Amino acid sequence: MNHIVRRILPATLAVCVTLAASGCGKTPPASFRPNMVEAAAPSAEKDSISAEQTLTAAQRKQVATILLAMFGTPDDPVALPETGLDESKLRLCAGPVRSDIVGRKNGLYREHCAHCHGIGGDGLGPTAAFLNPYPRDYRPGWFKFKSTERADKPTHADLVRILHKGIPGTSMPSFALLSEPQVDALAEYVKYLSIRGETELALMRAFFELDDDAQGTLPETKEFLVGETLAPIAEKWQSAAAAQIPVPEMPADLDMTASIAKGRELFYGDKANCVKCHGPTGLGDGQANDYDDWNKNVHKITNKLVKLRESETGLDAEQRTWANEFSQVLAGDALKPRTIQPRNLRQGVYRGGRRPIDLYYRIHAGINGAPMPAAKGTVSPEDIWHIVNYIQSLPYDFDGELGADRPMVAQDRY
Amino acid sequence: MSRLSGIFWSLLFLAVPVLGVATFAVAPAYDVWLPKNVSEHGPAIDGLFMFILALTGVVFIVTEVLLFWFIWKYDASQVKGPATYIHGSHVLEVVWTIIPAATLLFLAIYQMNTWADVKMRRPAMAPTVEVVARQFEWRLRYPGRDGMLGTRDDLFLTNDLHVPVDEDVLIQLKSMDVLHSFFLPNLRIKQDAVPGMKIPVWFKAKETGQFDIVCAELCGWGHYKMKGRITVESRADFDRWLEDTYARQEATQPAPEDVAAAE
Repeated sequence: MNHIVRRILPATLAVCVTLAASGCGKTPPASFRPNMVEAAAPSAEKDSISAEQTLTAAQRKQVATILLAMFGTPDDPVALPETGLDESKLRLCAGPVRSDIVGRKNGLYREHCAHCHGIGGDGLGPTAAFLNPYPRDYRPGWFKFKSTERADKPTHADLVRILHKGIPGTSMPSFALLSEPQVDALAEYVKYLSIRGETELALMRAFFELDDDAQGTLPETKEFLVGETLAPIAEKWQSAAAAQIPVPEMPADLDMTASIAKGRELFYGDKANCVKCHGPTGLGDGQANDYDDWNKNVHKITNKLVKLRESETGLDAEQRTWANEFSQVLAGDALKPRTIQPRNLRQGVYRGGRRPIDLYYRIHAGINGAPMPAAKGTVSPEDIWHIVNYIQSLPYDFDGELGADRPMVAQDRY
Repeated sequence: MSRLSGIFWSLLFLAVPVLGVATFAVAPAYDVWLPKNVSEHGPAIDGLFMFILALTGVVFIVTEVLLFWFIWKYDASQVKGPATYIHGSHVLEVVWTIIPAATLLFLAIYQMNTWADVKMRRPAMAPTVEVVARQFEWRLRYPGRDGMLGTRDDLFLTNDLHVPVDEDVLIQLKSMDVLHSFFLPNLRIKQDAVPGMKIPVWFKAKETGQFDIVCAELCGWGHYKMKGRITVESRADFDRWLEDTYARQEATQPAPEDVAAAE
């Protein structure tokens, strides 16, 4: 027995030591994934998609090179002055989790955000497929919960607020326990990823606006890349603060019961038309056939691909290859499209915030990227306040008061 | 088997109790010990812990030293004669069954009062706050001015629990999805949040400060980061914080930080 131990033990030790000393192998540095869905079908807004309208490998490479020069890598970000971003804040978020020379934690984005939102903010992180709703894809530059008009970008404070509060009813957690500078830096990094994503989209679409002399290559001039492509995108972010919705004060002597009654009238009325989606009792069961803009994009493209495959004229070999490749792109670079559910207003769960002013913003400007329309212009500000008061009474409302003989309020039912 | 080999193996086994005791002896100096206790029942729980540690520690040292001693003394390279075959000792078996059984029975009875204080003698009061565990956060709901949960003036928060110091605090613990465990290390409180159940948890904090809330039951991929913060503060500060937070929840105008910092 002893002679067996004599041979096995040192041999095992030798193997373990060798493995430990060699390490696990070098991981390659992180890199941004190109927007493959856009590259394969950049003219998704047009009526049909086809092999001719896909970007070639050379064109994709040109976009990647340009983006590398303009924005850097996930480990080494670059913030051109035209973006208006603070590069030192980006450095706090970029790269692997580690301590910097003054002992601060770096790699915040990778630690807290990347596993859902993806390394490039594409909403395709490893946990994304398991979540409902899907994590946000920043690349199109649409944000839902903000204090600005529908088509405008969120302010920096809007992003910080989302990080502080999280988004109740989704898997987006609250990061209130991080320090102020860390939350501030993460908001800046989200803007960076969004600006980069929109620039990538603009560059890919620009291939179809070139004149023939360009021979399918984008001009690599500062005037085109920064002046015509990047600057308009960055400008929208910088002007967001000025686009905050002005909210009139709710009158202090407001009769709440009367306001709620008026709000109920408006909720069921034709101007605001809330019941069409939110349902006759506010359960969110009005209709569920629509998509949010992120899912709608993939859904439209998938439908077009199906139609193409089933087209009567049949596909030649080149088109068939492209269609197969594109299916693979959809399988690997897009999440299965889901319809969007209108909010169940009886639960008291408000994703963008539960303050009266948050609900005012949602009703006034609608929700960018979602089918919730803007009531601005159709419903007066005083009426919007009435609707807000009605909405806030819904989780508690079964003809009035809470009492022992009443059914449980909706939000106590879990 | 050489004598050297026998010495090596017996010393290796001796290293277990020696290093074990050494680790426990130096741990407090490296701040690797029980977290700071700020709750009223904490000393009782820590006292039980130390008692059991001492008891099991003594038994541990005795048995390990005996193990070392037998390996050393009956080293086959030294003791050449044939082994003695015995059928065991009935008396020894009875003794070393009865003594541990009696010890365990003693411990069970000795700790009953502390268990009752922490888990059975609920203070007669309305809940201070409702904590709903959710993947992967702690959702809090304070009853508003009307003192009732489930009315329009409730205060909703995430992860940021405040309680008054030197007062009984009653928490109503629920879970929105899967099993979680509400763990306050500095208050010596740990209670599983079971879906479908409303479980009361109570304590009295004796010192102000900010401490951790952690999840102590594996609940999914985010379990490791399901952290919250409990702030113990004076009653005056607590009331003021409730008022401020409620005012912010009912805001009909943008908060100052959202206007000034919007850049």
